[in-house]
Amino acid sequence: MHQLKQYWVAEALEKDLGDPTQPESVMSFKSVMELDEREEFPEKDVEWLYNWNLHHYHIPVEYGGELKSYEEFVAFVRVLSRRDLTTSITFSTLFWSGLVWMAGTHEQKQKLAKFIKDKHGAMCLAYSERAHGSDLVGSDVQATKVPGGYLLNGEKWPINRATISGISVVLAKTDDSGGARSLSLFVVDKSEIDPAGYSNLPKIKTLGIRGSDMSGIRFDNCFVPEEMRLGQEGAGLELGLKGFHLTRTLCAAFSLGSADTALRTVLKFALGRKLYGKTVFDIPHPRTTLVEAFLDILVCDCVTIAGARSFHVAPEQSSVSSIFVKYFVPTAVEKVVQNLSVILGARFYLREGHDEGIFQKVVRDNAIISVFDGSTVVNLHALILQLRQMAKYRAKRNAATYEKLRSRLESRFSLEAPLPPCERAKFELFSRGCDDVLQGLEISLEHLYGLKTDASVDAEVLQKLITLTSTVLEELDAQDEFLASSGFEYGHDQSPESFELAKKYCTLHAAAACVHMWVYNRKILGGFFAKGEWLAICLNRLLMTFRPSSGIIPSIYIENVAQELLKLDRENKMFSIVPLQLAQAQSPEEKTHAASELQLQA
Amino acid sequence: MQLQNSSSKPSEDLSKNHLQDDNMIVENSPAEAIQTWLVTKLSKQLSLNAKTIDVREPLTRYGLDSIDAVTLVGDLEDWLGCELPSTLLWDYPTIEKSAEYLVKEFDVSAAVSPVASSNVKDAGSDKTEKVEASSKSSGWGGLWNRISGS
Repeated sequence: MHQLKQYWVAEALEKDLGDPTQPESVMSFKSVMELDEREEFPEKDVEWLYNWNLHHYHIPVEYGGELKSYEEFVAFVRVLSRRDLTTSITFSTLFWSGLVWMAGTHEQKQKLAKFIKDKHGAMCLAYSERAHGSDLVGSDVQATKVPGGYLLNGEKWPINRATISGISVVLAKTDDSGGARSLSLFVVDKSEIDPAGYSNLPKIKTLGIRGSDMSGIRFDNCFVPEEMRLGQEGAGLELGLKGFHLTRTLCAAFSLGSADTALRTVLKFALGRKLYGKTVFDIPHPRTTLVEAFLDILVCDCVTIAGARSFHVAPEQSSVSSIFVKYFVPTAVEKVVQNLSVILGARFYLREGHDEGIFQKVVRDNAIISVFDGSTVVNLHALILQLRQMAKYRAKRNAATYEKLRSRLESRFSLEAPLPPCERAKFELFSRGCDDVLQGLEISLEHLYGLKTDASVDAEVLQKLITLTSTVLEELDAQDEFLASSGFEYGHDQSPESFELAKKYCTLHAAAACVHMWVYNRKILGGFFAKGEWLAICLNRLLMTFRPSSGIIPSIYIENVAQELLKLDRENKMFSIVPLQLAQAQSPEEKTHAASELQLQA
Repeated sequence: MQLQNSSSKPSEDLSKNHLQDDNMIVENSPAEAIQTWLVTKLSKQLSLNAKTIDVREPLTRYGLDSIDAVTLVGDLEDWLGCELPSTLLWDYPTIEKSAEYLVKEFDVSAAVSPVASSNVKDAGSDKTEKVEASSKSSGWGGLWNRISGS
């Protein structure tokens, strides 16, 4: 088992599911491909996960469940997602129980825990409408007040698990005058309402996750009792947005699972296929592409783990911490998958061969993640609105706020630091200017300078890390200066330049997350991670878009990362800063790689 | 967001209330000072003529959507120097109602008194602690206030 306890659940689940390349394993590539071809709902796999008690990890400990930390949560969702996004995304609608843990009454929480545990219950989130996707305030579904409750009228579409779920979490209009307080949330238990009051819409044909129950739900004068309302009347938008903070971060686990399978499948191909008398892996361009995919996954790892831990350490920053994860990780992984597809050539397009044609399924399934729970554009727009305040706050940091920040950084990034329980009631719609990760960059830079006397750190690598981290800081300062001297307007007509600024901020944030992760876990994670060469390459790659600098990274660094990639593959471990042991069909000794000589580029 | 040059001046000069400085507003009452601040802010950041803004109309009428309204609370916090509910402008959706609520529930005297300090009351001072690699942007002092109209 891994030394970090928060990864034990993921490892145990991984072991019990078995090696997905073996047809007899649960959720094997063969079986998930067959289900996908038939566009069939993965009923047996979902039931297997309930029997494994995975649903307990969606229920907080205080309500009889096992949900302790979102870092642990992200790790096991990643394990599921590397096998099959259809099942993972289907099972993970249990995310939405988070709304009840956040705002439900004691009775509502107890009832939901019972529903999930005893009935193997699941829910769907019914926000979206045909005429209103991201515009929640524009919702047309009505909840009209009547004695004892409400009458629901209208249609929600397209909704994942709208048909095959016992509870629909419905966002509906309770006030015709409109505005931010015109919506309320209802946790509608279908078993407790008149079946004549609702109907489900047909399954929608989709490009990916084809077995999903992507459908809709329609209400016709459907009476729902008052006790099904979540929070106060008018709290719907506020809760809805805070619920997104949670799920946006968790979506990254879908992407990371996809990325692992995409890389593993292509690496296997590259090691096995011979061209011009050598393996594809031994040809510089594909080798570099594979190495860069691995490095991009490591960056996404740092961003995701920091975001998941942030819920426990800095829940007040949920509005921005979730954006950094949700914007950065799915878009980065989409690019990783696209880059890897080039190595497969025409084979990336085949629905057979190379682990049952799983790669093309990853391409199709993965493409929806960046749209979930607030698209890339929605997230960037929300960040644009907060950038000025973050720059202001950063300029006003002082000794007192700095010390608190230092302590939060350590709790957030040191993977050995125990996480306090997540106080969901402290989630906030805006961050009041706080963003610990970038605002604490000087703390880690100071730490890097301090390592100059540490014999365990390679002096050359350290100097590069200092140079690159200083560059990140300079870019951040420049962006803050620019924001300070720019005008600002509200509304939906934000300029393309503003979106670019927000993207840049997210990129700088990712770089800072990697630096902190290294500073706080060098000794904990050791080995390849501690050496820091990967970090230097990652920082250089992240800065490349606005600070192109060639020649700073020696080719030996790249080669050492290539060797680590091969080692993880050989030992059947997750491509991650926390390389979990994956399910083994055979011992590592039985696996042999095509010999891959060190090819140093002069 | 239009990335305008900072030297661009607000098109409207408020005839009723004279803004001597961001934090030096001479008003008849604290509530009026807050109303003026909000009118100025909205006219600037929604490109509206300040004279056309009615303090009794819902803010959504002027194109301020729900998320914008949350952001505006952040600017208000900076100016008033106190932490406010993020949904303040959802719950008090007109300039008149929100100003009234603020005066009733919060100590806004530091920002709206006739002899206002140019320093917004905050959790700490404006001085940023210097670390070895101190940021160039640290210690802007009142620069932000001067350029952001808050």
